[in-house]
Amino acid sequence: MTEVLLLGRRAVREVVRLPAATIPTLFIPLFFLAVNIGQISKTFPSTTPFLHGQGYVGFQLPVSLMFAVCTATSGLALVTEIDQGYFDKLLVAPIHRSSIIFGRLAADLVRGLAVATLVLLVALALGMEMRSGIAGALVLVVLAALWGVAYAGIGMLIALHTRNVQATNASFLIFFPLLFLTPNFVPFELLTPLMEALARANPVSYVIEGLRSLVLEGWVLHKLGICFGVILVTGLVLTWLSVRAIDGYDR
Amino acid sequence: MSPTAPIPRPAARESRRDGKPDAIQARGLQRTFKGGVEAVRGIDLDVAEGEIFGFLGPNGAGKTTTVRMLCTLLPSTAGSARVAGIDVRDDGAAVRRQIGVALQEIGLDPLQTGRELLELQCGLYGITGAAARDRSRELLELVGLMDAAERRTDTYSGGMKRRLDLASALVHSPPVLFLDEPTTGLDPASRVTVWEEVRRINAQGTTVFLTTQYMEEADQLCDRVAIIDRGLIVAEGTPQELKSQLGHDVVSVALDGADIAATKAAIGELAGLERVVTERETLALYLEDGPGSIAEIVRRLDGEQIRVGAISVARPSLDDVFLQATGRRLEGRQEESQESEREAVA
Repeated sequence: MTEVLLLGRRAVREVVRLPAATIPTLFIPLFFLAVNIGQISKTFPSTTPFLHGQGYVGFQLPVSLMFAVCTATSGLALVTEIDQGYFDKLLVAPIHRSSIIFGRLAADLVRGLAVATLVLLVALALGMEMRSGIAGALVLVVLAALWGVAYAGIGMLIALHTRNVQATNASFLIFFPLLFLTPNFVPFELLTPLMEALARANPVSYVIEGLRSLVLEGWVLHKLGICFGVILVTGLVLTWLSVRAIDGYDR
Repeated sequence: MSPTAPIPRPAARESRRDGKPDAIQARGLQRTFKGGVEAVRGIDLDVAEGEIFGFLGPNGAGKTTTVRMLCTLLPSTAGSARVAGIDVRDDGAAVRRQIGVALQEIGLDPLQTGRELLELQCGLYGITGAAARDRSRELLELVGLMDAAERRTDTYSGGMKRRLDLASALVHSPPVLFLDEPTTGLDPASRVTVWEEVRRINAQGTTVFLTTQYMEEADQLCDRVAIIDRGLIVAEGTPQELKSQLGHDVVSVALDGADIAATKAAIGELAGLERVVTERETLALYLEDGPGSIAEIVRRLDGEQIRVGAISVARPSLDDVFLQATGRRLEGRQEESQESEREAVA
């Protein structure tokens, strides 16, 4: 546990000392939030049933949160360490290899909490209301950050398997189909049958639905439960695969 | 003598210092990579406690692969190895607690300061709180980086990074220290500083396993040396033993414009002359008795009125040992001589 804390503290320090790695991850979600609202909010005024009396910004916020927290930052940090030789230094220390992964995830949690809070504040400034109140806002930020932690496993897996910066960086692109095959612009019911089937099969849809329910509807427990379940299962599977990959590294 | 004739490997037990037990032992150690590349092809090693053991070889000879196997970073394909008495395959974690490692690629986190990096390293070895702060300060003083302790390591020079890397390998006072080409890429002054550190660490009882491609480094630092080439150990012993096994002196005749063929012909057959090698503008005469032959060489050249630049005599170097064992010169020697030339020009 001590080693996870030590490596986590180091990774958090990295986030603070290298803002250039975090700022672009904020630009994209805020850009999409502004563009999507600008283009679509007139089409869907607050009287639209699925907006529950709110503006379109509330409907779009979860999508922007997904953009903000799903990054390849941990994978990139890992592959850079492999490239620079510091990874070997860690492997030759008498620690559990998994602590290298958990240290990175700790930094992802901190970064996720920070960027999700910022995106939420922007949305509130644009007139969005949290139907679930302050507690709901906290849960929204925590769930978004946890999804970022869960998703970080993809970048780390690619980093450990390819040991290549370009390939790891490209892992971010995997998220685009995952994000757009969801009810990101309209609810499930308004999608074409094929898109709806794809969206319903995509676990990211349920994370968005859960987060969206906190904004637009209040405390809808079954949606939150599914959202948390998806985050938990995704996190467990990807983290387990990452730990397995680091345990088998050069063995 | 043929240039590729193998130099007999002395029994490790005989050349070990004071009959001390092995800090590192390997038997038939092999590593074959995917695609069938045989990086290490079955080597035996016996490194006694307290030794500085040099592992000498050109790039790609198998030095780093051997170190990585001994440090538990890479599994062997066959054979066995024990470090600090522990089998590297059976209990890698226990081995890692007993070793310090500074690999060829300097392993530093560029975003941390020197002090933070050492304190983290202490923590990974179970040294925390005030003990970690004290140990980090002690090591920063040891490697002369106290003034740079609060600077991020990405602002350090190559020599400073190497010294910090060395310090980070020492946080837990390991009984066995692996240094993989610790001076490659350093300027001569930084190289000497690292040598001094290695001597100081060794004087405290630490066994040092050092890979290098610099002959001078092996000669200056190491109690014993093994030469590895294409994955096999081709010679092993103390630097003195290895050189004396060649049994000849090297008389160098700087031609300084003199005709090579005429000079060779003038010298002709000398008593004890084993072979003549032409290197650039120099004739290297491998003789049983160099100093005793100088007068005769001068007499013969004078008799043919051949004027040469200089004549010097030297004992065989480790490079001659390497040439004898492998049939070619070591790459590191070229770098060394180029540096010497640059210094001479400057």
